[in-house]
Amino acid sequence: MIMKLLTIKNLNSGYGDIKVIKNVSLEINTGEIVSIVGANGAGKTTLLKTISGVIPAESGEIVFDGKRIEHLPPHMITDLGIIQVPEGRRIFPMFTVYENLLIGSVLPRTIKERKNNLERVFELLPRLAERKTQVGSTLSGGEQQMLAIGRALMGMPRILMLDEPSLGLSPKLVSTVFEIISKINSQGITVVLVEQNVKQALKLSQRAYVLENGMIALEGSAEKIINDPQVKKAYLGL
Amino acid sequence: MDAVKTKKISLIVLFLVIGFIIPQFVTKPYYLHVITMCLLWAYLASSWNLFCGFAGQLSLGHGVFTAVGAYVAVMLFNDYNISPWIGMFAGAGAAVLLSILIGYPTFKLRGAYYALATVAIGSGVVVLIENTQALGPFRVGGAEGLIVKLMGNAPAFFQFMSKQPYYYIALVMLIIVVLFAFWLKNSRLGYYLSALKEDPEAAEALGINVRNAKLVAAAYSAFFTAIGGVYYAMLIRYLEPNAIAGPMMSNEMVFLAVVGGSGTVLGPVVGGITLHAISEVIQFYFGDLAQGLHLFIYGLIVVFMIMFKPQGIIEILQKYYNRFLGITDRGEDEKSVKRTAGS
Repeated sequence: MIMKLLTIKNLNSGYGDIKVIKNVSLEINTGEIVSIVGANGAGKTTLLKTISGVIPAESGEIVFDGKRIEHLPPHMITDLGIIQVPEGRRIFPMFTVYENLLIGSVLPRTIKERKNNLERVFELLPRLAERKTQVGSTLSGGEQQMLAIGRALMGMPRILMLDEPSLGLSPKLVSTVFEIISKINSQGITVVLVEQNVKQALKLSQRAYVLENGMIALEGSAEKIINDPQVKKAYLGL
Repeated sequence: MDAVKTKKISLIVLFLVIGFIIPQFVTKPYYLHVITMCLLWAYLASSWNLFCGFAGQLSLGHGVFTAVGAYVAVMLFNDYNISPWIGMFAGAGAAVLLSILIGYPTFKLRGAYYALATVAIGSGVVVLIENTQALGPFRVGGAEGLIVKLMGNAPAFFQFMSKQPYYYIALVMLIIVVLFAFWLKNSRLGYYLSALKEDPEAAEALGINVRNAKLVAAAYSAFFTAIGGVYYAMLIRYLEPNAIAGPMMSNEMVFLAVVGGSGTVLGPVVGGITLHAISEVIQFYFGDLAQGLHLFIYGLIVVFMIMFKPQGIIEILQKYYNRFLGITDRGEDEKSVKRTAGS
């Protein structure tokens, strides 16, 4: 049976007078990997930020696990288990790897599980264990991305939202990061993946939404979208 | 490891002993007063640092809190004979309330906008005090200021005939604020503050309630700053709106903390003591030479410090401190400068 974990209905949001997200509706089911793809400025990041409460929704509904959340402040949304890996990683450069991970589990429900979560993260991302005492700014780009993912996992997400995890990484590292995302998903964590790297993202996910000018232009199974002639032309260069 | 610990403890003991025996050697009231002012400024800079240094918020209006603390305590004392020892907590409580009232709307502002808001509030409060003659049954005194009524030698009312007790009170206050800063830095809240200092959005995304963390830290800072204001009032025995609330007061706290090393536990102490001592010395030697020359020299020193040692004087001391302890690891070095300076 398919369980709807996150439902968005007729969502509008933006910055002041500038409307970025226009009437977006989408659904995320438990256990899925869903990609949200689109060009620069399509509103992908704004959509994620609206879900996580950083930008207030102007109208529309965001329902998570049966609860309306569009009016909640960011820290409460995080507490429900919607955790974002922000674009450009945003790790704390002066904190060590270990401290970066610890600050990922500031919520009361995660503090008790801190030890187990640390073990899980180090098992999934052994590189972080090696670099444990190193300061964040001294890590390579790929390692920083892994740290950002590990930090988010410390918050015990039910939905992990990744904003452009492949940004600025070499092709080989991109594959590594995508492998890690797939492993995280196999542990039962629902993943929302926002990507400009359309091809790889679609390969990884079950379903996808194509965002254009703040509106959903296309939705459906990843297979359907990857074979859509429009998408092929516009995003895959085929 | 044990040798390092012994060295650390002996260094702390040495400083405490020096602190406590200074009045035995410095007997001239003027010199003791100057040293006492150094301690007070170190205390005020440390209080500012509790929020602004640790959380990276540039408040240029902390004079508001010294003023509220001082005026509340002095008004209670002048008009109702309530000892400033009690009044100081009433003043500090009022400052905490005010910090929340100010923080609630302004903590949404980032960077320069927050700084500008604090400047505006600071100037507003000066004007407000200057134009208030009385507040209910309390005399405020308006622009001409408020004289603290004289009781003679009355330790129960925070008044002493000699300078020595004032010195020791300032020293104890400074020790308390440093211990508090050390605790705060290593507490959970301290880590929240460092995180939101480095990246408020990332901190928020991880579930840190950024605004609450700021409000709590600002309340601590307002509390300690207000107590410093009460002390200042009792030491000078005269409140002048511009001196206690104005930009001189507010900016000085920032200069001392930044030049010493903001965001570290001991930076503001080092900055407060050395910079204030320098300012007193140049005022002593150049004060008569030309009007305002000492301020000009003082300003130059501040500018050069900020240009060449942006991390503060503490950065230089940290190097010697580590050498003394026998720590040479560079990675450790960098970290300890930022985090546990002088622990």
